[in-house]
Amino acid sequence: MALKRINKELQELEKDPPANCSAGPVNDDMFHWQATIMGPGESPFQGGVFFLSIHFPADYPFKPPKITFTTKIYHPNINSNGAICLDILRSQWSPALTISKVLLSICSLLTDPNPDDPLVPDIARLYKTDREKYNQTARTWTNKYAM
Amino acid sequence: MTILIKPLTRAKLLCFALTFTVVCNAFYTKRQFYPSVVYLTKSSTSLAVLYVQAFVFFLLVGKLVQRIFLGQLRAIETEHLYDRTWFSVTETCLAFTVFRDDFSPRFVGFFAVLLFLKCFHWLLEDRVDYMEQSPVLGRVFHGRIISLLSLLLLCDYLFITTAYSHTLVKGASVQIVFGFEYAILLVSVISTGTKYLLHSIEIRTGEQWENKGVFMLYADLILGFCRLVLYMIFMLVMMRIHTFPLFAIRPMFIAMRAFRKSCTDVIESRRAIRSLNTLYPDLSAEELATVTDTTCIICREEMLVQQSIKRLGCQHIFHKNCLRSWFQRQQTCPICRTTVLRPLGAQLLGTPGQAPAGAQAAAGVAAAAPAGATGATPPPNAAGQSLPGVIQGNGGQAGANGLSPPPFFNFTPFNLNNLSNTNNPPSQSQQTSLPFGPFSTVLPPFAFPPPPLPPLNFSGMSEESIRAMEETELQHVQARIQCLRNVQNLLDASMLQMQTYMNIVQTQSNMNNSNTILQDLNLDTERVLQPRNSKQSLNELPGTTTSETIIDGNESPTEPAFIRRRRVEHFTSPHNLISPDASTSMSTATTTNSEIDNNDDKK
Repeated sequence: MALKRINKELQELEKDPPANCSAGPVNDDMFHWQATIMGPGESPFQGGVFFLSIHFPADYPFKPPKITFTTKIYHPNINSNGAICLDILRSQWSPALTISKVLLSICSLLTDPNPDDPLVPDIARLYKTDREKYNQTARTWTNKYAM
Repeated sequence: MTILIKPLTRAKLLCFALTFTVVCNAFYTKRQFYPSVVYLTKSSTSLAVLYVQAFVFFLLVGKLVQRIFLGQLRAIETEHLYDRTWFSVTETCLAFTVFRDDFSPRFVGFFAVLLFLKCFHWLLEDRVDYMEQSPVLGRVFHGRIISLLSLLLLCDYLFITTAYSHTLVKGASVQIVFGFEYAILLVSVISTGTKYLLHSIEIRTGEQWENKGVFMLYADLILGFCRLVLYMIFMLVMMRIHTFPLFAIRPMFIAMRAFRKSCTDVIESRRAIRSLNTLYPDLSAEELATVTDTTCIICREEMLVQQSIKRLGCQHIFHKNCLRSWFQRQQTCPICRTTVLRPLGAQLLGTPGQAPAGAQAAAGVAAAAPAGATGATPPPNAAGQSLPGVIQGNGGQAGANGLSPPPFFNFTPFNLNNLSNTNNPPSQSQQTSLPFGPFSTVLPPFAFPPPPLPPLNFSGMSEESIRAMEETELQHVQARIQCLRNVQNLLDASMLQMQTYMNIVQTQSNMNNSNTILQDLNLDTERVLQPRNSKQSLNELPGTTTSETIIDGNESPTEPAFIRRRRVEHFTSPHNLISPDASTSMSTATTTNSEIDNNDDKK
């Protein structure tokens, strides 16, 4: 079941790739993928290429995939280990979601962070109080790690 | 990784060299075997070196066993192993504080063996979980898993029996802790073994095995319960003998949480799957043809007619098997997240004019009413459409007779209850499907019990509580009135049907005695509509001797009339014996009427 569905998703991704994102299996292990996200244009991450690792659980799609950033990124909802604080990757997961939809959600999270439910409180505070400085730091990090 | 391994190997080599020098030094200075051994065990430095050597030796044995039974470890397995070992070592240190009186090399050795075996239990668990992810598994894999499984089982068993006999002979000691630890490990081996069995059955069949999830849930529940009970007993025993076992808190908490989760999982998924089976019908081929997108959003495959397909309350359709698997984890629609557990019975008390339609819907949904209810013959629909007129006519008639329009039918229970008891048991009469369609629509509205009655005595209640009750009582009264309206509508409908039957009788029976029958039937219907004085008037009904001849004359059209006759007979002489062939029709009459009775009694 899981393998079949992951294969279907891969086919769909190849047929109709989402904007700014790409994903595919690492080596021959269909349960371990690597994805890339191009920093969205209207965000301080513009121009950066961010790598993510995706681990599918054995009972996918009934459990969410484990997605982490492997590239360092300055964002209120992504911590230094690359863990992403996104509800659809935890309690709000639904089998109707696909990797392509999740990647798009992560893209929109990059553009619009959610500082009210932060994973890194310091960055969230900066985002709320001094947006200019936040943008600047995020750009610096993007230049340093994602280019 | 290579950077990590190299210092480790170097440390091991260094350790071997150290041991070698220490041992050589001892033999060199003492020259004889026995004194050198005594020297080694007395000197603390050489003892320390020997302990480290023993530890390294242990690691090497562990590596060897791992190579034999598991081969190369995957990255995630190593990660899990390190995490769990870390926790386990801290807990072991805590345990040492509890047993500091028994502290001895032998004791440390026991703990080391325990930790060693635990590691292999975890690795085996991870490896079995990996089975689901890898499509191709060789014979070597199965051989390794089975042999490691049986080896661990044997070890656990042996250690448990040792601990048990030790405790029996020498009384309570540290062995109790080991006994319980190995018992818990035994439970985990059994759980891993069950999982392995389920996975390999699935792999063998090659298909997706839908019931596997259910088995897994139940296995988790049972084994989680065993684990929890073991921990509880362990806690109690430890508290009695030693002190509070601090080191067992964390695993016990985890076991508790896991058990709670598997409990709720089992209950919720059972509820969801039951409502999936009862509330939502399978999609038929025609219905499927009208759907534009037939891809099941869960498995991303086409839904075919021969597969079982379900439509949820929110109109989204999925494979039934996919939904079952999802409901084992969450009980919502995958697309719109509406819960599937909400009961639908709330909206079923329809508005007065829609009573028969509502009744049909109720029959379809509640599945309590006989199956014939929905497939009723045309008369009920006709009755439903022309109801308003009937109600008016009925009111006028009743007014003309000098009676108040009946809000409900107050049948005296004497004859009906007796009859239903003597002729067929009430439970059966509730279930009996009705011999002819029209009356079946009477049943469903009574499937819903009216709201509870208010308490009779208001004294002793506070001002607030009475006021609070006022509101709920108002709703209850409204609901009761609704209920009564439904009763009225249904009775009106049946009255209309009676008239239809009489028309049939009038047009089709050309016999001389047809007039008398018509008169009788007219009397019947009047009596049904004026039930308040039914007791007296029913007793005055004329004798009904002519029915047999009618049946002989023209059978099919007058059959309903015949049944009516039987019913009249039963009204007039409730204690008469009734012929068995008429008992089914009797049962319908008693069912409907006694239910009205029950309903009214409640009010």
